[in-house]
Amino acid sequence: MTLEPPVREALVARLTAMADDELILGHRDSEWTGHAPILEEDIALANIAQDEIGHALLWLEARRELDGSDPDALVFGRGAGDWRNVRLVELPKGDWAFTMVRQFLFDVFECELLSRLRHSRHVPLAEAAAKAAREEVFHLRHSGLWVRRLAGGTAESARRVGAAVDLAWPYLPQLLAPQPGDALLVEAGIVPSPAEVGAAAREHIATTFSELGVAPPDVPPNPGGRERHSEALVALLIDMQAVARADPAAEAW
Amino acid sequence: MAAERAGVVEDPARLEAFEARIERGEKIEPGDWMPEAYRRQLVRIISQHAHSEIVGMLPEGAWITRAPSLRRKLILIAKVQDEAGHGQYLYHAAETLGVDRGELIAALLEGRAKYSSVFNYPTLTWADVGMIGWLVDGAAIRNQLMLAQCSYGPYSRAMVRICAEETFHHKQGKEMVLTYAAGTPSQRAMAQDALERWWWPSLMMLGPHDSDSPNTPQLARWRVKTKTNDEVRQEFVDEHVPELLDAGLSVPDSDLHVDRASGHWVHGAIDWDEFWAVVRGNGPVNAERLAARRKAHEDGRWVREALAAYAARAAAATP
Amino acid sequence: MTAHSDARGDTQWPRWEVFKQDTEGSPHRAVGSVHAADAEHALLMARSVYARRPAAVSLWVAPSESVYARTAEQLQEGTVVADAPATTEPARRYLAFRKTSHRRAMTFVDFAGEVSAAGPDAAVAAARRAFPEPPALAWWVVPAAAVTASPEAEAEAWFEPAKGKTYKQQAEYGTLAAGRRRKGQTR
Repeated sequence: MTLEPPVREALVARLTAMADDELILGHRDSEWTGHAPILEEDIALANIAQDEIGHALLWLEARRELDGSDPDALVFGRGAGDWRNVRLVELPKGDWAFTMVRQFLFDVFECELLSRLRHSRHVPLAEAAAKAAREEVFHLRHSGLWVRRLAGGTAESARRVGAAVDLAWPYLPQLLAPQPGDALLVEAGIVPSPAEVGAAAREHIATTFSELGVAPPDVPPNPGGRERHSEALVALLIDMQAVARADPAAEAW
Repeated sequence: MAAERAGVVEDPARLEAFEARIERGEKIEPGDWMPEAYRRQLVRIISQHAHSEIVGMLPEGAWITRAPSLRRKLILIAKVQDEAGHGQYLYHAAETLGVDRGELIAALLEGRAKYSSVFNYPTLTWADVGMIGWLVDGAAIRNQLMLAQCSYGPYSRAMVRICAEETFHHKQGKEMVLTYAAGTPSQRAMAQDALERWWWPSLMMLGPHDSDSPNTPQLARWRVKTKTNDEVRQEFVDEHVPELLDAGLSVPDSDLHVDRASGHWVHGAIDWDEFWAVVRGNGPVNAERLAARRKAHEDGRWVREALAAYAARAAAATP
Repeated sequence: MTAHSDARGDTQWPRWEVFKQDTEGSPHRAVGSVHAADAEHALLMARSVYARRPAAVSLWVAPSESVYARTAEQLQEGTVVADAPATTEPARRYLAFRKTSHRRAMTFVDFAGEVSAAGPDAAVAAARRAFPEPPALAWWVVPAAAVTASPEAEAEAWFEPAKGKTYKQQAEYGTLAAGRRRKGQTR
């Protein structure tokens, strides 16, 4: 499928945004390795982190096929202002409740997105989505189990779930919102309608929260597009890129 | 031959039959008769091994967020994940001997349990991650291959599973160091510096000299340990020195030489004072390691309680 | 859950024995255990702990306390296992697992088949009759009702992704020797 330049440009931007979401989320998940509440969960969350980073690679490889860009150069060379992830994933990992609630919100969205993206007219994207969708089934089981158990566990765990939802909720609209190039991509049959994905995700979240007696706060969305970031991302990137940036002449790591 | 120490005098006929089983190469399984000393030694060895894996997650875990390429990032998360997994398999083996995992963990966090001294050294650069994979895991593999022959079934099985996974750790570490040794001046210097700090700790990791290891003869008799510390250390040195030299690195031991008669590499004297200081808790980062584990455990308390409460409620609700 | 809590109410959760089936047609094998809060959680943990590398097509978990174990030595000596459950229930299904070799391995007992019995001792006896060859070195019997299986319909999602993580397979690394390394290895 040959792409018209505006469509290709929109797809490059969309793939970058998807990769950035996964990479930053996977990075936050990986911060728990060695510090999880119990040994088995150290192992489980490390797997999820690898999956997310693997998805980032899938999207960046798909982008490389379009514009020849190098995944490592993008990940280790861009400053905060050039990243296009949603702010939800750059928020610090917080406590276990926050990590699981954030993961749950993202997993619900991803499941709705990927199940539709598997039918993309852009074959490399459809294939990558099929691979990622498989892993998302497991992610949603895991984060869904945790949100359910913590909401219905002890008074303290329920309180922490409430606090986590309060913190995450203003950032959810950005995740579900259309991106600048989406209209072109939807028309070309490359990505599903963001309105459709967003509505399905919202319904899934609402149903789960209602079952669990979790009431999201009535608050305005955190404003701004994907080019706007918090200081948390600055600190994250300084740490993440330090080794690579210290030796720019290095050809291999 | 009566068993010693704990004052337990084992039934001589039982003991003879037990030792005959081991002689025949049979595995002792949970539920089988075993001398108290065998059980006690195994609990000690297995739990120390488990603790080492858990604490061992920390020195490299700190560098996960800084891995300088996507591939290295994935690899390092997988490696540290494996270390958690290895701790898990080992705690399981200890549990088959009737000990409770919560109690083992409490012993570690309260400073009552030992773990491998090598993890009480700091990781100061990215190259340390590679050097740990190559040398520390290289030493561990030698040890684990030997322990896979252990007469106690659950420990042997844990070792076989761990050996299968550890080879990846060793190879990716070697790949990293070879890359840096052949890379930019900065990368080469980083690799050399890492070697200088990890060479002796890796040698010491294989334990005191045989002359200072009182447990070894009995452990050998019961096929818990089938090689001595010095034997394993020699294997480690013979394997790794030529490869390090090939890579253009310089081993920080001015006495290192080949013994013409045997063909073995002979290393210089180990500074055992440092080893004992580190084992006893005075190493560079002993306190930090345990503090990190304590924090993770404390921070996780409400989580463990919450799931237990949920499960209890669900069980009560089920007819 | 006081049986699994300490004085401060802390817990590592109960243990669940894990059985993994490597391929269609091979038996489920005991691979170890996981600490988890309930059966569903135990399955998710079992997949992370025991199936993060290939190969697997199915996992079973059962509470460790539901497993009744007897070694050949115990059977020979007629040793009464101190905490053996009483034989008061009507006959029910038990899954029987056995170890038949002293060969070094990473798994313990293999699934032999199902028996119907009125209690765990009877189940072991029934299993020895039903599966006499080769002679077993150890037996496990577990009430079928205590076993939870990974969802068959999701087997692809649970077990296929592990195959793609080649960066954690030692075979991926081949023979490593000193020499120049090139950039661009992103997978």
